[in-house]
Amino acid sequence: MSTSDLKLIAHLMRRAGFGATRQELKEFVSKGYESVVEDLLHPGDPENLPDDLIRRYHPDHSELRFLYSAAGYWLYRMITTSNPLEEKLTLFWHGLFATGYSKLNQARSLLNQIDMFRVNGLGNFSEILLQLSKDPAMLLWLDNNDNHKGAINENFGRELLELFSMGIGNYSEQDIKEASRAFTGWTLGNVDYMAMRASKDSIWPYGRIAWHFEYRPDDHDNGEKTFLGETGNFNGEQIIDLIAKDEATARFVSTRLFQFFAADTVGEKEQETIESMMKSYFDSNYEIRSVLRTLFNSSYFKSEKARYSRIKGPVEQIVGAIHLAGSYSTPTIGIEEVAQQAFYMGQGLLEPPTVEGWHEGEEWIDSGALVERTNFASSEVGNLDSPGVRTMIQNICTNNGGSMSPETVVDKCLDMLGAFDVSEKTLSALVGHVSRSGNIDLNDNDEFENSENRLAEVFRLITASPDFQRA
Amino acid sequence: MTSTQVLSSSDSMVYSHAIGICTMRGRGFYCPVDTVIDPSGRILVLNRSIDRDIEGIRVTVCGPNSEFYMVFGHGGTGNGEFIWPSSITCDRSGNSYIADQYLNRISIFDPEGKFISNWGTEGSLPGQFNGPSGLAMDPDDNLLVVDHLNNRIQKYTARGEYMSQFGSSGPAEGELDMPWGIDVNYKGEIFIADWRNDRIQVFSTNGDFIAKFGESGQENGQLNRPSSVTVDTQGLIYIADWGNERIQILDKEGNFVTKLRGDAGLSKWADEFMTANVDEATARENSEMEPNLPHLKNDPHEESSHIEKLFWGPVSVNIDSAGKLYVTESNRHRIQVYDWSR
Repeated sequence: MSTSDLKLIAHLMRRAGFGATRQELKEFVSKGYESVVEDLLHPGDPENLPDDLIRRYHPDHSELRFLYSAAGYWLYRMITTSNPLEEKLTLFWHGLFATGYSKLNQARSLLNQIDMFRVNGLGNFSEILLQLSKDPAMLLWLDNNDNHKGAINENFGRELLELFSMGIGNYSEQDIKEASRAFTGWTLGNVDYMAMRASKDSIWPYGRIAWHFEYRPDDHDNGEKTFLGETGNFNGEQIIDLIAKDEATARFVSTRLFQFFAADTVGEKEQETIESMMKSYFDSNYEIRSVLRTLFNSSYFKSEKARYSRIKGPVEQIVGAIHLAGSYSTPTIGIEEVAQQAFYMGQGLLEPPTVEGWHEGEEWIDSGALVERTNFASSEVGNLDSPGVRTMIQNICTNNGGSMSPETVVDKCLDMLGAFDVSEKTLSALVGHVSRSGNIDLNDNDEFENSENRLAEVFRLITASPDFQRA
Repeated sequence: MTSTQVLSSSDSMVYSHAIGICTMRGRGFYCPVDTVIDPSGRILVLNRSIDRDIEGIRVTVCGPNSEFYMVFGHGGTGNGEFIWPSSITCDRSGNSYIADQYLNRISIFDPEGKFISNWGTEGSLPGQFNGPSGLAMDPDDNLLVVDHLNNRIQKYTARGEYMSQFGSSGPAEGELDMPWGIDVNYKGEIFIADWRNDRIQVFSTNGDFIAKFGESGQENGQLNRPSSVTVDTQGLIYIADWGNERIQILDKEGNFVTKLRGDAGLSKWADEFMTANVDEATARENSEMEPNLPHLKNDPHEESSHIEKLFWGPVSVNIDSAGKLYVTESNRHRIQVYDWSR
């Protein structure tokens, strides 16, 4: 296994997933980069913490009424999944098609939307938009239940074009009105009762009732419409077809995927890759899988420039640290507190701040969030009782006899944290810190406990470095 | 939609009424996980609540016609408190025994809900627990504890003195995989909801294997993660087929008799809420509460989340002295009561 192969696949797994343990990386490297990309793009049935176990120990995760219960339930899935891209892409769609609990008071229907992203996320973009337009949580979130024949509500139609597909400047105000007319009659069943319960946050008498889509032909405006220059008696499906085939949509989707998976900022150099992604979008009849394949196999994505060029979002930070530590692999008390931690760091799952989603990149980091991020990651990865941490220390012991120099200690710890790289400045500081207490000898039984603690301290210091905030 | 099927030309199980409402405090239930009917006919409902709301962890004591008597118990680690309460049973004196699968202990309360004592430590040695999840008293008033992560049943005196154990991990006859609920018939035979083996197993008083019923699946007689089992005086076996969101009833030989999917209407407490909230009541009356959702037919858990009358999280089954069936639902925070129409 070459170091460059290892580093490249570690990069891929930080972006297409939530990072990988050293053991996982070893297996991935033996498969080869392109093969791993294809596995990620064709996930199959996931292996993750089974629902029956979660539901047995967490009855509230069975009902999924509460925000933190639902967020915790999703976190279990992210932490334990065998399909990391499936979950990472679902997180991307959740940020792009941001739908929030605060207005809906319906965590279960939000998770049904998340399931829809999981099922359709790698597929055809027009199908994703169609399912989104039938999603009860989205319909209530953007008031399409108030969008009636002869009395349109433009909220959903506007955001469909501006935030979900084409981006501002690529359509007219009249297009918004015409799209809104086409989505009249797209609502949820028992809408008056469900909307009332949502607005009153009513759990009575027997908890929430999950929502379902309902099409009301009597409330649909079947008249002639002109949208993006084409005229017809369009319903929602035809509007989505016209959106999906527009070049602005291809650019919008490709750019957003690039920013989430490749680099926070997009310059001239990066446009070349985005153009290739757009070509794949059209060549594949709008298939997201093809667009991502082009991105992950691009020379830009594989380049040194792309490495560590993204600030990890809070959920990436949390799930990545837990995955390394190997905690929360079975149902236990505390997963809802983890969900709350994501809120404290600025990314509450199922509760984006607005329909615009989260502002990403450097905006993730402020002084408060930085403290939360650092404390969380260091407490996870520095916990000697966690199975993943025990494995990391065991691996260092197994592979190294005798005394280890401070340089070797830091190098081994970085390797165990997923073939992680740090800057020269950070490396120097880490080595300097270890040097103050001298070499570490893991074969010295009398000193073993102290040596373990020193290794855990190095893990904690690495997670506290500025470098660890990046992916 | 009807969930009641004909047992014979003259016998059928008929929905009677519902008890409960979703409340985090006082009268009502909050993620209930088990129920017991005490010797005086009171219903004790064990509310698991959520991890972040320890006030909601409590036992609600009520009557079969929605009489509300009291609550007792509380979240926490002190005496009389719980973290993950999992099961409740009563002795002939009306004392209640409550298992906590997180704290690995059994707590005893008197009929007024006053804490008496507790015992239990974590481990796999005789007398220790790893996730006690089901309780039942045998005819001699000894306590049987389903020690689910140790895949065994332990017997204790009513004072908590260890007596014996049986069971081991596996799929073979007599072996267990994360067992949950338990009941004992008048002969002292022990019925176990062998949760991850998707079956009911019957053992003698001494723990010798007698029979097993069920296999994985959704068809009649098949089970998906059974959580609770009880037996009536006729020998009929009632199973909370938890993963299939239904109740199944088998005869004493294990042959399929009938199944229930849920029929709940408004309970007395729910009706009082609706009377006081006219706007919600009106909107509800104008709604189709049984929408046609054919795409969810093969996903009973999801279907139950949409259709309120159906069982959702039917976790516990009990039979009262008159032969009525009480089904406790974690996700709907209520009990559905059925009776035989003969």
